[in-house]
Amino acid sequence: MRVGRTWHDRHLGVLFVLPATVMLVAVLVFPAAVTLKLSLSPEGGLASWTLTLGHYRAAFTDPVLAQAFRNTFAFVAASLVGHLLLGLGLALALNQALPGQTLFRLVALVPWTIPDVVAGIVFRWVFNPVHGSLNPLLQQLIPGFPPDFSWLSSPALAFPSVIFANVWRGYPLVMVMLLAGLMAIPRELYEAAAVDGAGRVRRFLHVTLPGLSTIILVALALDMVWEFRRFALVLTMTGGGPGTLTEVLSTLVYKSYFQFFTFEYASAVAILMSAVLFVLSVPYIVLVGRERT
Amino acid sequence: MRWWAKRWIGLGAALAVVLTAAPADAQVKIRFQTWHWGETPWVKSLEEFQQTFNAANPGIQVVRDDSRYADKEAVFITQSQAKAAADIPHFSYRAIRHLADRGFLLDLTPFVEKEGGAQYLAQWDQAALEMCRYKGKLYCLPDDLNPLVLMYNTGHFREAGLDPAKPPTTWPEFLDYAKKLTRDTDNDGKIDRWGVGVIGARQEGLFMRFNPWLWGAGGDYLTPDGKRSALDTAEAIEGFRWYAELFTRHKVVPPGVIEQGAQEVRTQLAHGKVSMIITLPAAVGIVQAINPKLNVREVMALAPVPVGKQKVTSAWFSMRVISTSAKNPDAAWKVYKAWHEKDQQMRNFRIAGVLSTRLDVKNSPEVKNDKFAKVFSAQTPYVKWEPLLAEWPKIGDAMITAVQEALTGVKPPEQALKDAHAATNRALGL
Repeated sequence: MRVGRTWHDRHLGVLFVLPATVMLVAVLVFPAAVTLKLSLSPEGGLASWTLTLGHYRAAFTDPVLAQAFRNTFAFVAASLVGHLLLGLGLALALNQALPGQTLFRLVALVPWTIPDVVAGIVFRWVFNPVHGSLNPLLQQLIPGFPPDFSWLSSPALAFPSVIFANVWRGYPLVMVMLLAGLMAIPRELYEAAAVDGAGRVRRFLHVTLPGLSTIILVALALDMVWEFRRFALVLTMTGGGPGTLTEVLSTLVYKSYFQFFTFEYASAVAILMSAVLFVLSVPYIVLVGRERT
Repeated sequence: MRWWAKRWIGLGAALAVVLTAAPADAQVKIRFQTWHWGETPWVKSLEEFQQTFNAANPGIQVVRDDSRYADKEAVFITQSQAKAAADIPHFSYRAIRHLADRGFLLDLTPFVEKEGGAQYLAQWDQAALEMCRYKGKLYCLPDDLNPLVLMYNTGHFREAGLDPAKPPTTWPEFLDYAKKLTRDTDNDGKIDRWGVGVIGARQEGLFMRFNPWLWGAGGDYLTPDGKRSALDTAEAIEGFRWYAELFTRHKVVPPGVIEQGAQEVRTQLAHGKVSMIITLPAAVGIVQAINPKLNVREVMALAPVPVGKQKVTSAWFSMRVISTSAKNPDAAWKVYKAWHEKDQQMRNFRIAGVLSTRLDVKNSPEVKNDKFAKVFSAQTPYVKWEPLLAEWPKIGDAMITAVQEALTGVKPPEQALKDAHAATNRALGL
């Protein structure tokens, strides 16, 4: 019934969301619009309204960009698999009623608290063949292991080494979400399955996994967005090398903007990267939408 | 309007006046940005400058503004776009034209004219000054220009049966020395000291160490008209191979070469892991700071970079600029001018070991007679510069990619350089 509604009643909601809207426009819409405009401007021509698709054309023929896309997809895929396996394994372990459970849960979160730059520098030194700690450790475990084995300088191992560091750095997000999901699965379901004769594997396959399926999808979708943008870890560990073997989209955008001084081209690559990321985010948006309805 | 509403409005207005009023302290702050604030040999010189200037100029306060060497351009560009850059930032010569093109640097011509114009500028090395001119404007005064030389550990030379008074002068000699200096010093069957420290990391410092090999073999980045890549010449390939094969074939370089930047290589020299490096005057103080137990001025010696087909070297050349976001350009100029005066430039030499482009400092007996400075100064006539093109950052990046690919075996040297040649031509729009 509309009778008696004042101006306040009708507009109060708008006033409540106004500050957040202004904030979003300032920190999200405005920079995005400037970047889009920059990507369509001729070099040095941000102030004018002459527009060009030249930077997008150049992007589609840039072999380094093509490699960066391939590398980014491989990096994201491998990181997601690693995060899921490690995160699920640890979530299952930490869901057990063990003495010191809280302490273990806190310790397992430690990698999440370490900034990317710090993790990158630490792993660069861990992998260093002259001063690093990994080679001496492997020499103790594997007699005859070469003392000067190169990880980040190896064309075959540089990328896996960065992924390894990223799996360590990023698994806690997935772990925490899955642990929350595990804690929400009713004990009665496990008890009923056990009464029906289901062993540990069958209980995992038929109770745990179905119970976690939505959370796994949400966790992986969120993680994918994070990993697609991963920048500082790669930059500090390899700078995209050897050559361009570990070049990912975020490091390429950084280089194009700040090292090549090609602001417009870098903006075009950033817009392409955002477009791909948006498409990849659709499953997450759909899932969250479904949960709400 | 009701009485209480009027009171609230009055109170709000009074608060706004108080909050937006100018602070009582009207001292102008000038942000002096450099990555050297974190380097031990530089800190004393910078702090003395800051204290001396602030004491003599009560109306202006020089404040420290840190930047990191690797991302100094990124920080400055971002701050400039927000109109909040440091007043006086510090760059190498490679960045000046790019930043000027984007309108981030102040033209210093009006300030220089007030100081006496050509007569004022005559105090500097004119070739160095030319690097500050661009499109009819003057964007900087040249600061320190430091040719690269070979620094070597005389103790290691003696241990390997080499005469420290006779450093290698040619490439074959250099390789021979490097092989003799690569040793297993504790007889455990593993090499633990290498002849030469080489930079392979993706950083600006790589060019300076690599260029003497490319140019020394008679090669170059571009054709003489500057329009095409010249990386497909036999000379360019020869120089490129020399650099890469020190690691890949002759094994006189420590493992993990593409992880080694300038500081890592200096650290290896300071701790006796390598015996020779190609480096700058500032390295004397930096190596000393890395390993205080080492008496660098006694243990280390300097020599010209070994010669291939041509005697040539590269150089470190840095300069300060004034940002267009400077709120008080006159005060910034006053600080800028003080930094470039003889006393401060002499202080920079004494403390940090760098060579000034000011003629009265460069030609002073103290600099000319210094054991190390005279070796560096003698190389100035052989200094060559990378091409100052808008496309240089991409060309340079293509070369770093090629060097890394050759050093790690991703591609054979010929193929890596061929790809850099193609990337260079692409960057030039061909």
